[in-house]
Amino acid sequence: MQTPDDEQFEAHLKRFDPIAPDPLPTRNLARRSLRPPSLVTWLAAVAAVLVIGSTILHIRSGRTFISDTSSNAALADRPVPSEPLTVRSANAWLTTAPSFETALDDLAFRSQISPLPQGKQSAVAVLGKESFNL
Amino acid sequence: MGRTERNIAAIDALYRQHGAALLLFASAISRDRGRAQDAVHQVFLKAIENGSVSRAINKKAYLFACVRNAVHNEAKIQDRTMPLGVETPWFSPPDRDYTGERNLRRALGQLPNDQREVIVLHVWGELTFSEIGALLGLSSNTAASRYRYALAKLRGSMLAKENSCANAR
Repeated sequence: MQTPDDEQFEAHLKRFDPIAPDPLPTRNLARRSLRPPSLVTWLAAVAAVLVIGSTILHIRSGRTFISDTSSNAALADRPVPSEPLTVRSANAWLTTAPSFETALDDLAFRSQISPLPQGKQSAVAVLGKESFNL
Repeated sequence: MGRTERNIAAIDALYRQHGAALLLFASAISRDRGRAQDAVHQVFLKAIENGSVSRAINKKAYLFACVRNAVHNEAKIQDRTMPLGVETPWFSPPDRDYTGERNLRRALGQLPNDQREVIVLHVWGELTFSEIGALLGLSSNTAASRYRYALAKLRGSMLAKENSCANAR
């Protein structure tokens, strides 16, 4: 059993506050580790938007370029291979094309030229109608 | 707020609430302030890592037990015969009573380890005798009688020191 003297002495001892320890070393680390994800996320989002934007711009400018080339006019005059594309037909197309670039363009857009069965739509044609706001 | 963030915030609150008493306790049993600080940090860092504190029913008693284990594990590696490092202040003294603070530190240093442990746990750790008993593997009665005995010794030691200082003046 504690005597009043003990309690008084205990109260006297309690007046001495133990010194607080140094801050936890993880405190800064934890805060730092909480920040980067948001910063990284933002940077990643901005980078993704830039990449998508530049890709779309690149594709659009490429289309314009193709439509502006004289080879496009030549394409209308030249017979387009209507049978399914094979290595043989591609080789033949390459040999008759005025340039390698024109040949590739022609082959790339041949699906638009080839008639589709009734009631079906070309995915490329549908996407081509879409308007992208940049 | 995520689970990890909540855990860190809870540990941080416990650190602010009990850190000072835990450091004093670690200092009292480790005999070295630097090692005491390391032990306290180690306990809290582990708590953040494994979330063990959140599962403890009596968080304060659990933390004192963890600190005690950390100090004793460290002491197995280090030299155990190291003298008690009482030259670094342990307390912020009331009314700038720096002499009183030094006297208290020295008087605590003169107590045997087991008595010093009980004093720190009860006075500054504010653990009950049954909590102290559970922590030290004693009955609560033994913890209480050890405390009373230690308290009387501490008072005697501090009074003797104060009297000798008064006589010197």
